[in-house]
Amino acid sequence: MKNRLIIIPLIFFLLIILTFFYLLIIERNPSEIPSNLINKEAPYFKAESLFKDKEFISSEHFGNEVILVNFFATWCKPCLDEHEFIKGFSNKKKIKIIGINYKDNPKKTIKWLKKLGNPYSNIPLDKNGRIAIEWGVYGIPETYLINSKGFIKYRHVGPITKKIYKKINLLIDEIK
Amino acid sequence: MTPLLGSFTIWLSLFFCIFQFIITLKNKNIKYLHLCVNGLLISSLISFLLLMYSFIISDFSILNVFQNSHTTKPLFYKITAVWGNHEGSMLLWILVLTLFNFFIFKLIDNKNSSFILKTLLIQSSITIGFILFTIFTSNPFQKIFPTPENGLGFNPILQDPALAIHPPLLYIGYVGFSAAFSMSVATLTFKNHQNILWYSYMKPFVMAAWTFLTIGIALGSIWAYYELGWGGWWFWDPVENASFMPWLIGTALLHSLVIVEKRKSLQAWVLLLSILAFLLSVIGTFLVRSGILTSVHTFALDPSRGIYILAFTALLGGYSLILYGINSKKFFNNNYFNSFSREGSILINNIFMVVVCATVFLGTIYPLIIEALTSNKISVGEPYFNSTVIPIMIPAILIMGIAPLLNWGKEDKLKIFKKIAPTFLSTIGMTIFILIAYKPNSVLGVVGIILAFWIISNNLLILIKKNKNYSKGMIIAHLGIGLLILGITGSSTWQEEKILKMNINNQVQIKKYNIIFEKINEIKGSNYVALQGKFLVYDNNKKFITELRPENRFYPITNIFTTEASINTNLFRDLYMVLGEGNSEKGWVVKIYYNPLVMWIWLGALIIFLGGLISLSNNLKKLQVLSK
Repeated sequence: MKNRLIIIPLIFFLLIILTFFYLLIIERNPSEIPSNLINKEAPYFKAESLFKDKEFISSEHFGNEVILVNFFATWCKPCLDEHEFIKGFSNKKKIKIIGINYKDNPKKTIKWLKKLGNPYSNIPLDKNGRIAIEWGVYGIPETYLINSKGFIKYRHVGPITKKIYKKINLLIDEIK
Repeated sequence: MTPLLGSFTIWLSLFFCIFQFIITLKNKNIKYLHLCVNGLLISSLISFLLLMYSFIISDFSILNVFQNSHTTKPLFYKITAVWGNHEGSMLLWILVLTLFNFFIFKLIDNKNSSFILKTLLIQSSITIGFILFTIFTSNPFQKIFPTPENGLGFNPILQDPALAIHPPLLYIGYVGFSAAFSMSVATLTFKNHQNILWYSYMKPFVMAAWTFLTIGIALGSIWAYYELGWGGWWFWDPVENASFMPWLIGTALLHSLVIVEKRKSLQAWVLLLSILAFLLSVIGTFLVRSGILTSVHTFALDPSRGIYILAFTALLGGYSLILYGINSKKFFNNNYFNSFSREGSILINNIFMVVVCATVFLGTIYPLIIEALTSNKISVGEPYFNSTVIPIMIPAILIMGIAPLLNWGKEDKLKIFKKIAPTFLSTIGMTIFILIAYKPNSVLGVVGIILAFWIISNNLLILIKKNKNYSKGMIIAHLGIGLLILGITGSSTWQEEKILKMNINNQVQIKKYNIIFEKINEIKGSNYVALQGKFLVYDNNKKFITELRPENRFYPITNIFTTEASINTNLFRDLYMVLGEGNSEKGWVVKIYYNPLVMWIWLGALIIFLGGLISLSNNLKKLQVLSK
């Protein structure tokens, strides 16, 4: 009896390690947090716009075509990393991208976009982070895909990587 | 130049470490071992100092410095930034490993050389694993070109004195268990284990690891309490659990080692615990660094790191536990002992600690298991941990109060009643006093207070009597636990919270305090600007108590807002105030907490730490006698 008991720690250990391995290997993203907003209408908001004099009113933009909404800031390093992919969406997919500038300095943002290129068709300013709260943003960068009826179809937390870029491209084709 | 030199010294450490591995494996050329062990320690110390130097002079040609520092940062935080990030902290981890390697080597003498050599063999394999990990997945000296003008700054939440020294202490704890692990594995492979006092060698290492882990965890809590502004000090976050689990196993291990020393039983159990303590430390690191869990503490996501650490853990755990499965039978004996004795009560508490650890472990990885099986996402939070851990802890603490009074072997049941009578009476007295004076409304709170007094009075009495039969360090540490329980009970049971909007000249009442919002100022710090509220606190008799100045800080370099809680502390309560968002027209959101007895948590932890240090020095003295 006693002799058999001593391999129990080993068995438990192996089971746990296997679970971890499985989770590391499968297509899984711990930052893919299920959003309560999926398949619901994108939250309404009004905000100052960066390059335009006109105030940005979300209901004027959402609901006509497929739109990508991207929360970004110049101070956030992962935003810099994903910028090439955001440009990719704008150039290759010809999709409209709204870039919500989160808690940022407008002057810095203009400089940043001049240097790196501007893929956004409109940039509402979320100066105090209110819009991010409404949208349930967990941490920037964060990206939402909105269909032509104005419903949120997909949400990604964190920078867009090659894998996610491909995934979003497929989703765009699907709902277009 | 520095980056090149830094990378070179890491490779040099690897070289010495492999050299040590070969020497200890072949059991030959032992005269070179001295060179290896010292070389390893010195080269890893130099690489660590080089990184520190790069942070001090703000050498932004190094990616790590660029990402985590800035020229305007205060010097103290430039230094602590070295271990405030993943890559640098791995360097610290290696340094501590090699330091313990050095201490193990110091134990070597004619009688035990083959055992120590085996231990050093295991220790060097662990160190090789971590050095390879650092070189290939997280090189802190990676260069960046072109050299940026200035760094990205440093998360201001991490600019806190408690957090600055928290990681090194915690690492001494985690890594200290590596020495116990190595000795355990060495013992399991050793043929003449009866001739070697492996447990006496293991004990000071476990003692050191446990003591530093305790204070490291406490400092992490202090940071969370003062810096996060959430009004609490423990959140059952996966990262907190990752440090709590080795602590629980370490506690069990520490006490079992005493039994092994005195009675020579429980050897197989101690060997298992020392393996588990280190494995849990490494699994904790894996959970934090691999990005497999989401938590407020987690480091950057990087799957390749995750795979590496996990493979390494699997190797360590697989090897040691298979070895345990094959060889631990040799360590069994049939010395059954009376449960009503010192060793009996320690064993019962051992089981409680392991059960608590298993419960915490289950809660921490349950979301992962569920996700692997069903791909649903769930989270396990405070209610689970509170409702599972507390009921197991209550009997454990009851036994803890009485265990030091029991004799080894067998206790006379009548005598023990005499022994505990004074404490029993004083506990009842104190409890009645509390019941009348404060009229507490919570059953759990009353239970907590009783337990705290039970432990405190037991140990105070022993301490006052100056009884030589007890280890002073142990009694002091136990006293600290009593105070800790007092603080935990008070702050978690009778906390009061108020969240409201306040305008200037408004006032609010919390407990017996009346708080008046006097004004709000803009102030400037060295690398931040802040809004500072000024609140005046009066008690019921309109007597002025204190002024609270909570701040809302903005760090322009990293563009981060932080809240600085303002706290007025005395031995009975903390008044804890956080300034939220708002403006002068609509008013400001203000959070006020009345946290009873929080001070005793920190004092308790400090006293446990002191007790641990006293025990550690006693154990080291014993070890010196042993080697003579």
